[in-house]
Amino acid sequence: MPAEIFNPNPVVFSTSKSGKKPDLPPHSVWISDDPESGENDADEVVEAIDQEEIFDLIRSIYDPEHPNTLEELRVVSAPQITIGQNHVKVEFTPTVPHCGMSTLIVHSTRLSTSPSVFFCVGLLTFEYDALLPGLCIRVRLLRSLPERFKVDIFVKPGSHQSENAVNKQLNDKERVAAALENPVLLDTVEQCLVNAGARGNPV
Amino acid sequence: MADISNDRTSLINVVKALGEYLTSEESELLQKVLTSMGKPFLDGYTTLADGEKDPRNLMIAFAIARVILIEFDISQHTETMFNILFCYFPITFRPPPNDRYGITTDDLRTSLRRCLGATPAFGPLAIPVFLEKLTAGSRATKKDTLQTMAFCFPVYGSALGRAHARKLWNALKLEIFQPVDLQTEEEALRATQVLVKTIYADEEAAVESNDDVHGLARDACEECIQILKEPEKNQANAAIKILCSFISTTPSVSRYTISQAVPHLVKLFHNPDEAPTRVATLTLLAELLLAARDSQVKSRTSEAEPAVLHYKDEVLGVFTVGLQSTTLRVAALPGLKAMASTDRLLTDEELGFIVHRVGGVIESDLDGFEEASETILDLLTTISDRAPRHIFEQTLPLLFKSLPDKAPSREATAEREKCWQVLSALQTLCIQQELFENLVIRLTTKLDLICLPSHGSNGTIKDLELDAAFAHMILKTLAQTLLTKVKAGHPDVPKYVDQLLPRIFDIFISSAVLSTEQPMIATNSRLLNVAAEIITLVLQSLPPSRQQSYSMGLSKAIMDGDTTDIAQDFQKKSSARKLDFFGSSTMNERNLLALLAAAVIPLHKEVHLPIGDLDGFLDTLLAFVTEKADTDLQRLSALHMLSSILNRRADELSSFLQDKLNNFWDREVSDRSVSVQRRKSAIQAWTWISKALLVRKHPLAMNFAERLFDVFGDETIGWDAARAMGDIPAHDSVLNKANHAEIKILYVQKYVNTILPRLIQLARDANSPAERTAALVALTSVIKSIPRAAYIHEMPSLMPSFCYGALICPMPDIRCSVIDTFLAAAEGETPEKNMVSEHSSTLVNAMLRNIRAEKMASTKVRISALRYLGGLPSIVRYDILHPYKPTVLRELAKTLDDPKRSVRKAAVDARTNWFKYKG
Repeated sequence: MPAEIFNPNPVVFSTSKSGKKPDLPPHSVWISDDPESGENDADEVVEAIDQEEIFDLIRSIYDPEHPNTLEELRVVSAPQITIGQNHVKVEFTPTVPHCGMSTLIVHSTRLSTSPSVFFCVGLLTFEYDALLPGLCIRVRLLRSLPERFKVDIFVKPGSHQSENAVNKQLNDKERVAAALENPVLLDTVEQCLVNAGARGNPV
Repeated sequence: MADISNDRTSLINVVKALGEYLTSEESELLQKVLTSMGKPFLDGYTTLADGEKDPRNLMIAFAIARVILIEFDISQHTETMFNILFCYFPITFRPPPNDRYGITTDDLRTSLRRCLGATPAFGPLAIPVFLEKLTAGSRATKKDTLQTMAFCFPVYGSALGRAHARKLWNALKLEIFQPVDLQTEEEALRATQVLVKTIYADEEAAVESNDDVHGLARDACEECIQILKEPEKNQANAAIKILCSFISTTPSVSRYTISQAVPHLVKLFHNPDEAPTRVATLTLLAELLLAARDSQVKSRTSEAEPAVLHYKDEVLGVFTVGLQSTTLRVAALPGLKAMASTDRLLTDEELGFIVHRVGGVIESDLDGFEEASETILDLLTTISDRAPRHIFEQTLPLLFKSLPDKAPSREATAEREKCWQVLSALQTLCIQQELFENLVIRLTTKLDLICLPSHGSNGTIKDLELDAAFAHMILKTLAQTLLTKVKAGHPDVPKYVDQLLPRIFDIFISSAVLSTEQPMIATNSRLLNVAAEIITLVLQSLPPSRQQSYSMGLSKAIMDGDTTDIAQDFQKKSSARKLDFFGSSTMNERNLLALLAAAVIPLHKEVHLPIGDLDGFLDTLLAFVTEKADTDLQRLSALHMLSSILNRRADELSSFLQDKLNNFWDREVSDRSVSVQRRKSAIQAWTWISKALLVRKHPLAMNFAERLFDVFGDETIGWDAARAMGDIPAHDSVLNKANHAEIKILYVQKYVNTILPRLIQLARDANSPAERTAALVALTSVIKSIPRAAYIHEMPSLMPSFCYGALICPMPDIRCSVIDTFLAAAEGETPEKNMVSEHSSTLVNAMLRNIRAEKMASTKVRISALRYLGGLPSIVRYDILHPYKPTVLRELAKTLDDPKRSVRKAAVDARTNWFKYKG
C-alpha cells in the first residue's frame, strides 16, 4: 500500500440495492408460480444493453486508495453514463481534485527493471489518482462490452485540476495499451477489478 | 536425522509423562518433592527444549511448558522460559504438502498461545514483542498476534494493561482505522474489547458515576466522538465499531460510552448545519442501539433496565423524524427496529405510536413504501411478535383497504403491481396467529367475490383471465403464508381444516358445476394447483385421528361424488347434483380430482381411506389415467392419489402389483398397436407405481424400474421411458416426509447401484442408435435427479458419453442437463485433482458451440455453457488449457453482444476468469 494516502478519510455514501427480479413478469397478468423459471427460455425479445447494465459492470470496482467501491465513493453513478447505438460515454468524479496515487506508481515502477516501464512513466504523467480509476473503468469495459461500442471516459467537468490531460490520456488507445504493458500498473488494475463481478451486491 | 528426531520424541515423551503425573491429583507428595528440586529440573529442561524444530516435538514441548509455567515456581527462570517460548512467536510453520502427522499451523499456534498466556510473569516482557510483531508483521502474523493478545491480556492483569494502555491503543487503533482486511479489523476490535474489560473489570464496584471512568476508555471514547463529528466519512464507521465493542465490556464503561455517544449523535442530527449528513448519523445511531440490545441479551441481566432507556425519548424522536422524510427513511427504519426489539425499552403505547407513524408512511406515499417496503415490513414483523394488536388494528385495515374487489384492467400494470405488493406485504406480516386468522377471513371473502359472482349480476363478458390471475395472486398469498407457518411449526395450522378448506372446496366445486351454464374462473388449472397446495399443507399438520375422521367425508366425495362433508354451503348454491369423476362428468369436474388428490397425499399410514375394494379402486384410477383423463392435471392427480395409497399399503396389494408386471405392461406399454398417447400415459403411471415402491424399498421396485429398459429401442416411446428412468428416483412434492409417506433411507443409492452401470454400458455399446440415444437421455435424466455423491464415483466412465451428449444431442433440455451435470461435478475439483483435464479440449469446443445465440436458441443452455466455460480455468491447470485462451476470449467477445441480459452477464464473468487465467 502507498506510504502516503492522499485522501485518508473519504466520504462514504450508501449504495442502492441492485434490482431484484419482480415476481410479476412484464407482459403478463399472472404472477409466476416458480420464481426460478420466470424466464422464457427461447423467446425472441431482445434486451438491449442499457445504462443500468453498464453501471452494474463498473460499480463494484475498488478504489485504488481505499477498501471502498467506486459506487460507495460516488466516483461513478448511473446517471453519469450515457449510451447510444454504438457509443458509450462514462463520466466519473475523482475523490480529490489533485494528484494522488502518482507517487506510488512512479516509486514502484522504478523498482521494476522492465524497459517498458520507463516508457510508460514517460507517457502517463502525474495524474494517476484520476487516471487509475479511469483506467480501471476502461479495462473493465474493454473486457465486458461488445467491440462495436466506442467508449469515451471523462472526468466530470470541474472536478479535477488537470481535467484535460486526464481525459486526453484515458481516451488515447495507444497510451492505454502502453500503460497496460506495465506489469505493476496492470497488477494494480487487476487488484481493483478483483470483485467487479459483484455488481453492487455484497461480496 | 529421523532417528535423532525419534530419540528426542521419546525423550520428550518421558518428560511429558512425568509432567502429566505431576499434575494429577494423587501425586501431591511427589509433586512437592519435584517442585522442591525445581531449579535443577528447570535448568535441565530449558537446555533440553531449546532450539527444538520438529512440530511433533513442539506440540509436546508446549504442553509441558504450560504445566511447568503453572505448577512450578519459575521466578528464577522467567526470562529463560520467555526466551525459549517467545522465539517461536509468531508461528510461521506450514505443513508440507504430503504431511503424515497432520499437525496444522493452527494447532501449533493455539498450544503456543496457551503457554504465552500461562503466567502473568510474561506480561512486561511480552507486550513489546506483541507491539513489534503487530506493526511489522504480515496479515497472518497480525491476526495471530491480535488473537494472542486477546488471549493473554486477562492473564497479564489490569495493572499491566493500564500501564501500557496508551501504547497498545495506538497500535490497535491503527488496525481498526486503516484495516488490512475485515478479519484483522475484527480481531483488533476484539483485542481492544478484551483490554478494556481487563482494565476495568476489577474497579467496577468503585465506579459510581461517569466521572469516575478514567484512562483508556475515556480517552478512546473522546477520540472516537471527535471522529464522529464527521459522520459521513469513512472513519466514522470504524469509530462506531469501537464504541459498539465498548458497550459489551463492563457495565460502567458501557454506560459511559452510551452517555457520550448517543447525545452527541442526537445533537448532530438536530443541528441544521449538519442536515446533509443525517443519513449517516441515523445509520451510526442505529448501530449503537443494536450493539446495546445485543449486549443486553448476552449479559442476561433480565431485570436490569436497558442501557439506552435514559435517552429513549430523544432517540425515538430522532428516528420518527427520519421516518417522515423520504431520503432518511431507509436509514431510520433499522434504528426503530433495534429499539422495538430491545426488551423493556419501549412501552406498548410507544410501539403503537411507531406502527401509527409507519402506517402514515404506507398511506401517504406508496412510492416511498415501495423503496423501503422490505425494511418497513421487517420493522412491523418485529413489532407483531411483541404487540400484534397494533398491527391488527392499524396496519392490516390499511392494507386490505388498498386491495380492490375486482381485478385491475389489462392496461393497469402499475395497479396490478401494487396489488401484488400489498399481498406480498400481507404474506410477510400475517404469520402471527391472530393476524393470520384475519388474513384468511379477509382473503377468502375476496375470493368468493371474485370467483362466484352473485346470481343477480348481469352476464357482461368480462376479461375472465384478469380475474383468474387476481384470484391466483390471492390464493398464492394464502399458500405462501401457510407454508411459512408450517415450516415454523405453528400450532394453529390444523384448525384451518374447518375454517379454510371447506370454503376453498366450495369455491372450486361450485365453479366446476356452474361452468356448464356460464364461464367461471375457478376452473383454471393454475388456480386449482395453488388450491391443492393449500389443502395439502393444512392436512399435513393434522394428527392421524383427525385425519381419519376427515377421510370419511373425503372418501364420500371420491367414491360417490358427495361433497357435503368437505365443502361448505355447496348445496345452497347449486342444484344438488352429485359428481361422478370416473363416469360421466365434464372436464372441469374431472379437474377437481386435483383437490381430492391433494387431500389424499398427506394422509398418515394408519389412516385408511374407506374406499372398499382397494385393488379395484386403484385399477379404476389406472383406467382413468389411460382412457378417460384428458389433461395432464387429471392424469397426475389420479397418479398422485394412486401412488400415495400404494406407498402406504403396498403389503396388501401384492396381487395388484403382480397383475401390473404380468399384464398391464404387455397390454398398455409394449403393445405397438395401442395409441401413442395411451402408451405414454401408461409409462407415466408406471413411473408413479415404481416411485411409490422405491421410496419404501419394496422388493418389487427394481423389477418395475428395470422393465423400462425393454422399450428403449422403441422410436415412439423410447425417450419417454428414458426420462421416466430419471423421474423415478427424483425428489417430488408428493412422496416425502412432510406428507408422512413411507420412506426408507438410502433408496436412491439402491436405485443408482442397479441402474447406473447398466445405463453406462448401454450408452457405450447399444445395438441401435435409438437405444444409445435413449440411454444417454436416461443417464442425464437420472443424474439430474440424484445427489452428486451418488454418481461422482462413476463420473470417469460417464465423461465420454456426456462429451458426446453436449456436442451432438439435438434436444436443448438434454444438453442443458448434461452441462448442468458437468457444473455439479466440477464442484470441489482442483487443478491438481480433477476428472476433466484429459477431456478439456473436447469440453472447451463443446461449450463454445453452445454459447452463440445464432446457433443455440435456448437461453438456459447458453448460460449453463458459459458458466461451465468460466469455471474451467479454476479446475484445469494452465499448461493444459492455455492454447485455447485466445480462441475462447475471441468467441466470448462475440457473446458479449447476446440479445439476453442474463447471458451477457454470464459471458462477462466467464471472460473475466479467462483474462485472469495465467501460468
